[in-house]
Amino acid sequence: MGGIGYGREGNVMKSQKSEIVILGIETSCDETSAAVLVNGTELRSHVISSQIVTHQRYGGVVPEIASREHCLHIQPVVQQALDEAKLGFSDLSAIAVTYGPGLVGSLLVGVSGAKAMAYAAGVPLIGINHLEGHIYANFLQHPDLEFPFLALLVSGGHTHLILFEAHGQYQVLGHTLDDAAGEALDKVARTLGLKYPGGPEIQKVAKEGDAQAFKFPRAMLEKNSLDFSFSGMKSAVLNTLNSAHMRGGTLNVPDLAASFQQAVVDVLVQKAMRAIKRTGVKTLLLAGGVAANTLLRETLEQELAVRNVRLVCPPPIFCTDNGAMIAITGYYHYLAGDFSPWTLNADPGLSLT
Amino acid sequence: MKYLTIDTTTKVTAVSLADDGCLIAEGFLHTSTKHSERLIPMLDQLLKAASWTLQELEMIGVVRGPGSFTGIRIGIATAQSLAQVLKIPLLAVLSLDALAWAGLGRVEDIVPILDARKNEWYTARYRWTKDHEKAECLTLPQAIPTELWLEHLKGLDRPICFVGDATVKYKAQIEVILGERAMVLPEYVSLPRGAYAARAIWQRWQETGVGELVEPFYIRFSEAEVNWAKKEEARRMTEHE
Ligand SMILES: [Zn+2]
Repeated sequence: MGGIGYGREGNVMKSQKSEIVILGIETSCDETSAAVLVNGTELRSHVISSQIVTHQRYGGVVPEIASREHCLHIQPVVQQALDEAKLGFSDLSAIAVTYGPGLVGSLLVGVSGAKAMAYAAGVPLIGINHLEGHIYANFLQHPDLEFPFLALLVSGGHTHLILFEAHGQYQVLGHTLDDAAGEALDKVARTLGLKYPGGPEIQKVAKEGDAQAFKFPRAMLEKNSLDFSFSGMKSAVLNTLNSAHMRGGTLNVPDLAASFQQAVVDVLVQKAMRAIKRTGVKTLLLAGGVAANTLLRETLEQELAVRNVRLVCPPPIFCTDNGAMIAITGYYHYLAGDFSPWTLNADPGLSLT
Repeated sequence: MKYLTIDTTTKVTAVSLADDGCLIAEGFLHTSTKHSERLIPMLDQLLKAASWTLQELEMIGVVRGPGSFTGIRIGIATAQSLAQVLKIPLLAVLSLDALAWAGLGRVEDIVPILDARKNEWYTARYRWTKDHEKAECLTLPQAIPTELWLEHLKGLDRPICFVGDATVKYKAQIEVILGERAMVLPEYVSLPRGAYAARAIWQRWQETGVGELVEPFYIRFSEAEVNWAKKEEARRMTEHE
């Protein structure tokens, strides 16, 4: 990098400050969010501007529209976060921002904004992996979390089982080979004529249905595999619907929703149990948008109680995409002196390995 | 008054430092790297080379489109954030307005053409006043099929000077249709430059004297919005039948 950007020595100028103040910025998909976090525990402010209503008419997130919205909202959202925290840019220790994975146009708005803010404020820039952010959201309320732990990350874009041995040291044990769990839920929801986003809608409708009404397959892959596959399960629902239509009949939507939700949860829980048995860890972290699913939480709780394993999951507000999870991840990177150069670019396909 | 300008609306990253309309330092990169990788490093290098500090800046100008959607947003997010932290005014000009400065003082009409893909251009038409004070906009910015625009210009019966990033690719076609009346400036004059934005922003500052809320100027709606509007229109038509 030459003289550009902050190397590991970059934080010396701020090290005499007693408080570590991190501004976290998230723009990877359809939420513009910013949060101010002090010393890794005190969330001074948290602003989320959601675009869900804007995208609803299109039945899903439209990348170009998402990018346009972020561009209009990033400045007011960041300003509001600072104002609510009663802090200014000069009080910051660093600025953390999601640089991937996600929608490239959306990521670029956040990365460009954060970079310029950090440069002008004279503080380090910290590029954050969005997936790591989802998992680290758990540290917001449980700073005492002990390693090693297992993380089950379930969202619209990702389904991962990850073993964490220390901060920044992790190993992906399994991931989805096709659709993410949240993606399969969204697609089935759309076929059932439910609103976007589909995950929460399925959960709502499923309450009225019988989870045993339909027998959908549970794709477990080979006996030892910790990978997931949801596209076959999704197709099974679509086939069931199609053949009913061919016969001129209709199916009970709540029953379908409940049965499919049950099938997805069963697979997630069984794979998690398999991973726990293999690693012997005593803590399971749940993370990602689908972590807000009540059936998933309750089933995991029951299964883990039997095995004497602790379940940790973030409150729903930290399950969706949010700036607080980026700030907390940034805090741990800050402690490790792990900063990004001014050449940081968005990486839409960024992975966890 | 010291100020900075940023133009990332095309493949060129163009940055300038200027003082009361006078160009002090200029950055120009037309390489395969991305705006987001080179913008802040370029600014950092220019400031160092000019022995300026960021804190000396009193105003920031940004080019807000039309052009590459992503490029527009990178420029605005960057300029806006710098202005937000430094607490200085932010101003904006259009890419086409800035490019009119590439033809400063020429007697021909100045027509900037920017590649808008799908065989269209973002374009407008300007004419410099006799005193060289101002490029008056005669045809407002629009996205238009290249041939349609060239036919229109042909009908004007005026000499035309073309600038902009589409001049390289379309030079031959322009000369076939407009013949002697077309003047296509070379690409080192014709591509967006920090110098042009520096002048255009200074002119805007003299007109307004205050910062403004800057929003992207895309001209085009997103494809999803266009398709949705079409579907709505079709639905309304069938409902009326
Ligand atoms: Zn997410």
